[in-house]
Amino acid sequence: MNPPDLHALQRGDEAAWDAAFGWLWPTVFAVAQLKLQPFLPDEVEDMAIEALGQLVDKVRSVKSVEELKPLAASIAHHRAVSLLRERFAQKRDAGKTESLDVPVDDGETKYEPVWEDSPLDSLAEKELAARLQTSLAELKPPQGEILSDFFLYGLRYEEIAKKRGVAVGSVGVYLKRGLEAMRKIWGQDENN
Amino acid sequence: MMNDEHFFDLAMKAIARQTTDAERMELDALMAREPALRAEFARLQKDARLAKDALPLVDATKAAGDKLPAYARGRLQTKVRQTLGHPAAKQKPDQSLAWGWRWILGLAAATAVIVLVALPTFRTPSGPVVQVAMLDTVGAVRGAEPNETETLKQQWKNSTVQSFDQTGSLENWETNWPTGDKMTVKVIYDRAAGEVRVLLHQGDESQQKTFAIEQDLATTLQQVNNFIHAQWNGKTLKDEQ
Repeated sequence: MNPPDLHALQRGDEAAWDAAFGWLWPTVFAVAQLKLQPFLPDEVEDMAIEALGQLVDKVRSVKSVEELKPLAASIAHHRAVSLLRERFAQKRDAGKTESLDVPVDDGETKYEPVWEDSPLDSLAEKELAARLQTSLAELKPPQGEILSDFFLYGLRYEEIAKKRGVAVGSVGVYLKRGLEAMRKIWGQDENN
Repeated sequence: MMNDEHFFDLAMKAIARQTTDAERMELDALMAREPALRAEFARLQKDARLAKDALPLVDATKAAGDKLPAYARGRLQTKVRQTLGHPAAKQKPDQSLAWGWRWILGLAAATAVIVLVALPTFRTPSGPVVQVAMLDTVGAVRGAEPNETETLKQQWKNSTVQSFDQTGSLENWETNWPTGDKMTVKVIYDRAAGEVRVLLHQGDESQQKTFAIEQDLATTLQQVNNFIHAQWNGKTLKDEQ
């Protein structure tokens, strides 16, 4: 699916927005799912739709079409985090200790996921969007994928090499360069 | 000096808990021999935490496949119209825009004359029966919505506003006309479509007109009201057809 025409979106062109909503939906849905699925799974779809609605408010401040997906992701992330904070605060105020909307398995084991603030949650919406945009630009395939394979999915060097069609010896090189890029984009300046 | 790449690979495996006992012992021995490597290991652990935090969001931004639910489209397009306005008017050629304005000004002047000179003639003791309904199948996009029911009530103060959340029940309402020869009007505000439909019924005759909400609901309702009164004061539906 091709990126939409930004100028048409800023004019309020219905067809352009139709295409944009379809193009942006997987992003906002994935972000909402990422944050809310363990705690408020029924809110995922609504939250994703609301994030697209909020993007409409901000589209006139967007300078290039490449900003759209990171901005949509950032909006969805912030809305989801706000909702989680609000609901967890409500639960705390009510003196309830159970997890939010997560069904208890049975009488013996309680699945009680705990939501914790991530350092990313403190980034302002624009700042988060900008860092996401830089990450997308800097982590060229297969670097980003290899980082995810290793850090998110726990694959071993040999499994990654096979999956991505690279030499086992180069997996570490990709990881090293990828981590350096991540540190540059997301890390705090240690001199400050 | 040991091989940097070998240390990095050992450190990565240790952070991901993938080392064998032998590899873990080798890594510990390396760090004991070269204290700078211990600091480097700590930095890689920090980088790994950062990657685990940020990568899911980066991956989500690249996601593909899921499809926008059909019901959300109308809701979002309404938001687009409310926020960014209707582009059609801006896209029209200048020529037609100029003619459009001339028509509007001409009509406005003519209407003013008619109102001033002939109002008593046109004034009738009562207007048509106006029934009002709102169709809202998906609810509002949270955050920015005026009280639209109130706006509808203000326009037609003598009418109650029916609310429907399903098109089936609205269709039943739309086709249920009172008997008799008096003109009856049904006004339906379709929230998701961003339009107001007007159905006029008199005897065996019917007429329909749709008004897109181009500026705001109150302005469109005023246009609808003008249209209804023009029909009521001017011609019968049969004449119109």
